[in-house]
Amino acid sequence: MNLTNPNIPEDVRAVASNGTQLRYKMMELTVQYPDAIALGRGDPDLATPAHIIEATTAVIRQGRTAPTPVAGLPELREAVAHKLQRDNGIAADARNVIITTGGQEALFLIMQVLLDPGDEVLVPDPRYTSYDEAIDSAGGKIVLIPTDHADAFNLRPEAVEAAITPRTKAILLISPSNPTSGIITEERLRQIAEIAIRHNLIVISDEIYEKFVYSPWKHFSIASLPNMAERTITLNGFSKSYAMTGFRVGYVSAPVNFIEAMAKVKAITTGPAATVSQWAAHAAVTGPQDAIAEFHRIYSERRQMMMDGLRDLRLDFSEPRGAFFLWTNSSPTGIHATELAYLLLKEGHVLIFPGTAFGENWGGYLRISILQSTDLLREALTRMAPIIARYRANT
Amino acid sequence: MNGPQQLARPLAQRVAELPDAAAPSGEDNPLPETVQQAAFEALARGETHYTDRPGILPLRKQAVNWLGSHYGLELGADEVTITCGATEARFVALKQLVAPGKHVLALSSSHYIEAAAQLLGLSLRQQVDDFSGIGVVYLTAADDPELVRQVLDQAATTDCWILWDTSVAPAAGLHPAHHPDLTGRVISIGSFSDALPGWRVGWMAGSKVANKLRAYKQSMTICSTSISQWAALGLAEL
Repeated sequence: MNLTNPNIPEDVRAVASNGTQLRYKMMELTVQYPDAIALGRGDPDLATPAHIIEATTAVIRQGRTAPTPVAGLPELREAVAHKLQRDNGIAADARNVIITTGGQEALFLIMQVLLDPGDEVLVPDPRYTSYDEAIDSAGGKIVLIPTDHADAFNLRPEAVEAAITPRTKAILLISPSNPTSGIITEERLRQIAEIAIRHNLIVISDEIYEKFVYSPWKHFSIASLPNMAERTITLNGFSKSYAMTGFRVGYVSAPVNFIEAMAKVKAITTGPAATVSQWAAHAAVTGPQDAIAEFHRIYSERRQMMMDGLRDLRLDFSEPRGAFFLWTNSSPTGIHATELAYLLLKEGHVLIFPGTAFGENWGGYLRISILQSTDLLREALTRMAPIIARYRANT
Repeated sequence: MNGPQQLARPLAQRVAELPDAAAPSGEDNPLPETVQQAAFEALARGETHYTDRPGILPLRKQAVNWLGSHYGLELGADEVTITCGATEARFVALKQLVAPGKHVLALSSSHYIEAAAQLLGLSLRQQVDDFSGIGVVYLTAADDPELVRQVLDQAATTDCWILWDTSVAPAAGLHPAHHPDLTGRVISIGSFSDALPGWRVGWMAGSKVANKLRAYKQSMTICSTSISQWAALGLAEL
C-alpha cells in the first residue's frame, strides 16, 4: 500500500517516513478538533495515586528540593534496587541503579555509553522509533529483527541469531512491547540469553510496561537468569506503572561501571532528575502498591471492550498480552495506515497512530491505545465504524 | 553484579576520560509561597502527565517576556523550548549545530561546555584570532563586552552559530541577536536554577533552528518535568 491519497496534507506526507515526527504531527493536528478522542500517545489517563501526590506536596512544603547527586537520590536508588530484587529477581544494590529523567533519557544514555560508531543493535520490528534516534545519536546502526502477527509478535531466537554480525553489540528487547503489546515469553528469553552469552553480546531489556501483563501471561526479567546480570542493562521507570509520566523518572540497572559511566554522561547532558520527582518516585516504589492492581483491573476491562469492538468492526488484531495497545491489522480497508489514521482523525475525530509511526514496514497496521474511559472507547469505536466500513466496501 | 570487561570497553574510549561536569548545587530551603502555591495547584489539577513537547505555554511566554524586558528582543513563544536546566539546552545546541571535529569558541565561561564538547568530539578554542573551523561561539554576560563585540563581528563573516547563555551571569544590555548580520543564528539559553535548584528547568529560545533543537530535546527527554515547569511559572510571575 502506498501513500497515494491526495487529501493527505503535505505536512503529514513530509514526516510520514519518520515514526517519531509522524506521531507528533498527528498529535498537533488533533488540537484543531476539540472533541477528538485521543487513542494515540501512551500516557495513562488515570490519576497519579493520591499517596504519591501527598508525598510530593510534603516535599515541596518542607523545601526538600536541593539537587541530588547525578546518579539519583540515594534513598530512591536503594528502594529501586530492593524492588528489582523483590519483583524481578535481579541481584542489584544501589550502586547498580541510576535514576534518569524518564525512560527516554535512560535509552539515550545507554546508547551514548554503550556504542562505538558502527556498532549494531538488534531491535525487534515493529518498534518504538525513539530507539532509532537514540542509536543513531550514538553513531550506532539499528538492525531490525522481524516479528510477525502469527506468532503474536513474540521474538524468535533463530531470527535474532540470524541477524548477528561481527559488529553486533547488543540485543534490545522490549516486553511487553510498544507497539504490539506482545510479550517475549520466558522460554524464548532463556534461548535469547544463551545466544547473548554464546556471541558475547549485551542485552538491553526495556521493561517499562512490566506491571501490565494479562493472564495467563507473566512478565519475566532476563537479567534474573544465571550469568545474565553482568551483561544485561535493564531499563524501567515510573511513568506507566504509576500514571506519572509528567514527573519524568526512569531508571536503569546494570553493572556498576556502566552505571558510573552513565552518570558521567548524564552530568554533561541533563544533570540529575528533578528532586521533587525523585521523592515522588520514592513514595511510589516504597508505598502501597494497590493502585497498580486497580490500574491493571481497569486496563483489563478496557482491553476486553476494545477487543470486542474491533471484532465487531471485523478488524483483526494481535493478542494484547501486555501494555496498553491493540496492534490492529487495517489492511482490509485497502488504504495505507497513514491515510486511514488521518481520515479517522479528520472525519471521525479519533486520534490513532498508524503502524508506520513504528516502522516503515507497517503500513497495514494501526496502534490503538486503550488509555481512555470505556465510554470514550465505545464512542471512538462508534465513530470509526462508518469510516472503516466505507473503505472496506471500496476494496 | 560487577561489570564484565566488554561493558568497560567504550568507557575507556570515550567516557572515562571525560572531565567531570560541575554538578548543580544548592541546599534544601523553604520555597517562596507563590512557588509552593503554583506547584500545589498544578498537582490538584492533575498536572502530573506529559506536557506539550515544547513546554507549557505560559512558561514559554515568560521566557519571551524576560528576553524582551532585559534585551529588547521580540520572539514568539513558539521559538522557546523548556529544557531540563541550562545543561540540557547547552548539550542539545552543541550536538545539533556542530559536527564532530569542528571547533567551539568560548571565552571566560568555557568550563560550562568543556565536558560536553569533549563528549561530542569537538575541540574548544579560547583565542579569537583564528575563526577557521568554528561551528559555534559560546558567549555569556560574564565575558568582556568589548571582546564579545569583536567576536560577533568576526562571527558575522562566517556561518557559525552563537549561543548566548544567560544562566551564567546576570543579564546585561548586550545581546548578540541585535547584531544585524547574525539574524537567525543566535540561540539564547536561560535557567531557573538560581532560585529553584534541583527543579531542573531551563530554556532555549530563538534562531532558525529552534524546531530542530526542540526535536532533539524531545528525543532525549520527551518533555521537562511538569510540576517543575508550573513551579517555575509561579516564580516567574512573582
